[in-house]
Amino acid sequence: MQRKRHHHGLAWPRLDPHDQVACHFCDALQAAPRLNEGDAALCGNCGEVLFQNRPRSLSRATGFSIAALIFMCLAHSFPFLTMEAAGNHTELSLLESARILIEDGNVILSFLSVFFTIIAPLILTGGLLYIAAPLSYGKALPGSIALTRLIQHSEPWSMLEVFLLGFLVSLLKLGHVADLHFGIGLWALVALVLCIAGTMGGIDRRELWDRLELAIHQQQKHPKANTQPAPQE
Amino acid sequence: MNEQAGTFAADQGLASCHTCGKVTPVAEQHCTRCHAHLHLRKPHSLARTWAFLIASIAFYIPAMALPVMNVSGLGTAAAGGSSGGSTIISGVITFWNMGSYPVAIIIFTASVLIPLLKVVALIWLCLAASGKLTGPPRSLALTYHITELLGRWSMVDVFVVAILACLVRLGAIMTITPGPAALAFAFVVILTMISAMSFDPRLIWDQRRGKKISTP
Repeated sequence: MQRKRHHHGLAWPRLDPHDQVACHFCDALQAAPRLNEGDAALCGNCGEVLFQNRPRSLSRATGFSIAALIFMCLAHSFPFLTMEAAGNHTELSLLESARILIEDGNVILSFLSVFFTIIAPLILTGGLLYIAAPLSYGKALPGSIALTRLIQHSEPWSMLEVFLLGFLVSLLKLGHVADLHFGIGLWALVALVLCIAGTMGGIDRRELWDRLELAIHQQQKHPKANTQPAPQE
Repeated sequence: MNEQAGTFAADQGLASCHTCGKVTPVAEQHCTRCHAHLHLRKPHSLARTWAFLIASIAFYIPAMALPVMNVSGLGTAAAGGSSGGSTIISGVITFWNMGSYPVAIIIFTASVLIPLLKVVALIWLCLAASGKLTGPPRSLALTYHITELLGRWSMVDVFVVAILACLVRLGAIMTITPGPAALAFAFVVILTMISAMSFDPRLIWDQRRGKKISTP
């Protein structure tokens, strides 16, 4: 009987230990080996990465996504930059820039920027917290499957890091025009970008699905008593 | 590691789920694990990739020719660009003349070079997948990964316009508003991203093996 949930160097538990995997790049069918933490499986035909076991993936994803949500609140509460020029005072934040775009009549552009910089990052961090935190106790909350699919589909559309690069370019454009003051929101944004990278880099797609499948299977088997952790060999 | 070399999932009627990667007989129709629709290959992959690609090329023309932001007011010269509109290219030229070479290079790479290279890369991949061109699979794989990785960074110019429009509202002195090219450029980036997502790299290997796998 093993009580600890995280074992260094262990493969994650799987519903079907003799699973097969098809390379997403060349479609070569091969046995899916169980990997120790830190290892990756490469396709025998084309050499692409099939999947990898990232160390302490669930606790990393949980921790980073909690931090990301906190920084997200800060980034929305404080402006990134305030500009003083010719007696005018303007502030920059994600919502403020979206509001100005709507005022100027660029509704579509405003919607796109809200989706790329607010909604998609929120789905990634909030969604992964909802999935990964209960999953480290071998449980899956209702709606986990649909949410995991949503997370996967919104991953390429989360563009906060691109926004940050755009911010740097704007600074260089404005530098000699006006007085600029950085706000707390900017440092929160930088930290948020790093935390999102940590969240998404922490877990492998196949590992997440394997764990989710097992958790759901066990809940269906024992609908009431699902308090024991997932069995690990 | 591969003891059954030369076995391909599609030959055995097995589909690997696009979403979760589980290998299931395609006859099941829906993935048993994540309930996504099962296909041997992404449906109409080449036709969709070409369609989104052509649409993105069409948007690329107004994105380059029309002003990406409108600058009005007295201080226009200081912000770069002539009064009225400034296109992406004229912005790059202004920065270059001002001596801000790194910024000029960042904007030129993100806004001009990456979209163009992405379109060329996708055309090459499509031609390779339909058998009109051949290439070493390693470099095709690398091209595909770079295309997927770089696409989002082109959005930087759209964000620059959104940020400047938010900050520079000084009434008569200087006001910046987004121009029509900003939206066109956002569509270029989105369409090339969707185009890259619709492409199924397994078609390249099917072509090499001389197999044609029909998708329902």
